[in-house]
Amino acid sequence: MIGVGKAKQYANVLDRPIGKGKQEVSLSAFAFLFSELVQYNQIQVDNIAELERRLEDAGYAVGARVLELLCHREKGNRREIRLLGILSFIHSTVWKVLFGKVADSLEKGTEHEDEYMISEKELLVNRFISIPKDMGAFNCGAFVAGIVRGVLDNAGFPAVVTAHFVPVDGQHRPRTTILIKFAEEVLQREARLG
Amino acid sequence: MIVCLAVVGHENNPLYIQSFTESDDALKLHHIVHCSLDVIDERVNNPKKSSPTINEAFLGLLYPTENYKVYGYLTNTKVKFILVTTDLDIRDADVRNFFRKFHAAYVDAVSNPFHVPGKRITSRTFGERVSTIVKSFGLSSAS
Repeated sequence: MIGVGKAKQYANVLDRPIGKGKQEVSLSAFAFLFSELVQYNQIQVDNIAELERRLEDAGYAVGARVLELLCHREKGNRREIRLLGILSFIHSTVWKVLFGKVADSLEKGTEHEDEYMISEKELLVNRFISIPKDMGAFNCGAFVAGIVRGVLDNAGFPAVVTAHFVPVDGQHRPRTTILIKFAEEVLQREARLG
Repeated sequence: MIVCLAVVGHENNPLYIQSFTESDDALKLHHIVHCSLDVIDERVNNPKKSSPTINEAFLGLLYPTENYKVYGYLTNTKVKFILVTTDLDIRDADVRNFFRKFHAAYVDAVSNPFHVPGKRITSRTFGERVSTIVKSFGLSSAS
């Protein structure tokens, strides 16, 4: 309720603590910036695969820096060496810092041992984007896939990460899934660690 | 007295080496830093069962040479910070504090969009911040 439990009143305005400031950026500012990023890349390339690769590379740089920042800021001094550890780190901490909430779900793939999926009902970056029919299966979530790949790669878990639309019955818009396929050495190391 | 600070990337490539002495033995300090990389690798790959946790960032005293002590710190991205100092009675807490501030400066330098990961850190601001941290370290441990 508004007004209940007011903070301590300071007699002098200069005594008030400065405060950490808002940790958020406006969604519209980000949406405009991201739309410019997509348009800029679209002009420069000839085909969809190249556009997807460019968005992913942009995300990779973000992912690398986010990992450094978060490890220093949030994680104390623990270094993740287990697969599930780094996946839950991405699923909760990274998502919380970037998008303000934890990801919707984290699943292990059934067909292959090395596949994991993070799904989201609607990715924040895709909120104001609709893909034209002639672009086929292109997903601007490639940017987020790049971020995840950046985090995993720099933490020592090389992987191939892609973003896919998964149609869900009963829902108008498809769900987005980030598919993570780990490299062979990661699985071997995981097996060795027991 | 801190004589040398180094940041080494995850492929053991040097990202930043700075020596803080007037004398000309920069090469000797580089050599010491290089040798301490082996000690770090050894510690990381064969964790001693008696160590409290194998995921600790601060590695502590790596090895003492004739008149230098070398401390190490490993971040999540396998980036290593190496500190070479001539002080004989340094407190562990001071070094941890130093590495924490140094890590903050490093994260800020890497967040620069113009910084290419894997290349040397060329930011002047980073250099200035590092020298400020080094100076304040010298003062705090001398007291």
